[in-house]
Amino acid sequence: MVRGARPESDESGERKDQLFELPPELAIDTDVARRVMVGFIRNQLRQAGFGRALLGLSGGIDSALVAYLVAEAIGPESMLCLLLPYRTSSRESVEHARLVVDNLACASDIVDISQIVDGYFGRDRELGAGGAAVREAPPLRRGNFMARARMSVLYDVSVVWGGLVVGTGNKTESLIGYSTLFGDSACAFNPIGDLYKSQVRQVAAAIGVPEEIIRKAPSADLWPGQTDEVEAGFTYPELDRLLFWMIDKRRTDDELLSMGFAPAAIARVKNMVAVSEFKRQVPPVAKLGPRTTGVDYLYPRRRPGSARP
Amino acid sequence: MQPLRIALAQLAPRLGVLEDNLASHRQVIEAARKGGAGLLVFPELGLTGYQLQDLAAEVAMRADDPRLLGLAADAADMSVVVSFVEEAADHRLFISAALLEDGAVRFIHRKLFLPTYGLFDERRFFGPGDLLRAVDSRLGVRLGLAVCEDFWHLAVPETLALDGAQILINVSSSPGRDLAAIHEVGLGTAASWRTLMRTYAQLTTSFVVFCNRVGMDETISFWGGSEVISPSGEAVFTAPLFDEGLYFVDIELGDVRRERIGLPLLRDERPELHLRELRRILAERTEMAIDEASEAPAETEPS
Repeated sequence: MVRGARPESDESGERKDQLFELPPELAIDTDVARRVMVGFIRNQLRQAGFGRALLGLSGGIDSALVAYLVAEAIGPESMLCLLLPYRTSSRESVEHARLVVDNLACASDIVDISQIVDGYFGRDRELGAGGAAVREAPPLRRGNFMARARMSVLYDVSVVWGGLVVGTGNKTESLIGYSTLFGDSACAFNPIGDLYKSQVRQVAAAIGVPEEIIRKAPSADLWPGQTDEVEAGFTYPELDRLLFWMIDKRRTDDELLSMGFAPAAIARVKNMVAVSEFKRQVPPVAKLGPRTTGVDYLYPRRRPGSARP
Repeated sequence: MQPLRIALAQLAPRLGVLEDNLASHRQVIEAARKGGAGLLVFPELGLTGYQLQDLAAEVAMRADDPRLLGLAADAADMSVVVSFVEEAADHRLFISAALLEDGAVRFIHRKLFLPTYGLFDERRFFGPGDLLRAVDSRLGVRLGLAVCEDFWHLAVPETLALDGAQILINVSSSPGRDLAAIHEVGLGTAASWRTLMRTYAQLTTSFVVFCNRVGMDETISFWGGSEVISPSGEAVFTAPLFDEGLYFVDIELGDVRRERIGLPLLRDERPELHLRELRRILAERTEMAIDEASEAPAETEPS
């Protein structure tokens, strides 16, 4: 593996401290990627009849990159970043989100979702709407609920803002199912959903996302000290490489083994991908009539007349 | 031979909005005329957009559609290649490229190879064409028309060149994908196409004109990068990736003769050998005896 570097810092000939680890096969032309994603954002909005967009800014690299891309596509004056912390969210997350907002000089708002979440699960001795049954809900359930609370707020605010919600999920988390259905994965469109985490880092470095955001360990921030990589048991470069060869390059298990991937890792990742298939698809509809959406009624999402007037 | 000015209309059509696209075609025809173009090439499905799905039937035109004839009238003294969804008299739908000359639809090429794999689903919505022929043009040379995927089959440029084409024209809606730093231009699709076009131009000792669209339909982005390649396989012109524009390129048609005299590959082609072996291969595939006709000398075949 090579160490990822910001191209600008290479010109001097001396390689500065590297920002992140980049498997060579995942290296992309960031100019082309940026061009395509920015064009995609513009087109999606234009074709839907919208000039504005909004997104939830977590303080992490994915939503930071999307914010920079949206700003490049439609200008900071047409975008809104929502900070949606829960009372246990790390202070660093909020600080990093604010840093992005300051750098882009875009509109922002903060909605603390603690009341919504606590209103259901309860807090301290007080029962919530879910009653005693949800009181001992484990962090994962709470985390999913938080993701859906954020989605609810985003979609409500989107009406007032008059913009579309831009998705911020990356390809790695989508493939292994590390996302909440109808939560963080809910969006009108997603510009970075076909970029692995390692590639998100590359484009983020190229577009100028602050180094401290690129450098820090990715986290769902569901509990203090949580990190994706500890939870998944893989580092992102390892996981991205395995997914790339397994899915994009269609390597068989035997071929993956001979490339040096561990048998347990192959089995585990294959399983994660298979069991999360449902999260990546539109819910199925039983085929009954002559023409059924998604089966034999196939129109582009954006067709003449589909844009908001 | 006289120099020829080629205009490449690297446009971003609006998906399913025929009237808008007709209007932009009219504007571009006017601009190309003012720019002194002799040949103007629009991209695949420039009049309709690419990712049509069930919209295909709604934007289809017959070859004698007044809207198409209107464009032909505008084209007048130029040779103009436009592409649209063609509805045949029996209501089959085709992805077609039409050569407009002297106020008429002179020739129509129906896309022969309809990719239905990966991100493509063309065969679901369209029928494949059955004819592959070069056509005389008012430019004084024969042209060979092909649509996108047609060029991913070797026999297409070969057949067109054998049929007398000196300019091979490929109109495309090629979706950009396979972003990787290892590729010359950062895009796998563009790298592959460039290799193909240079190879075809050199092996057929013909000009290759490639017009690829830009813009996005739904999730896919089209990368442009339209080109003109000389008969010696070198790029005369390469349009930028992703930028919409009308690009003018001057070529010397005399380069075809020069190349073919110096490098007589077409003279040395062995179509009769190819035909004989193809017949054998087909017979073996179907486990049938080689037909008597396959032994007949090629000269007796209708040309």
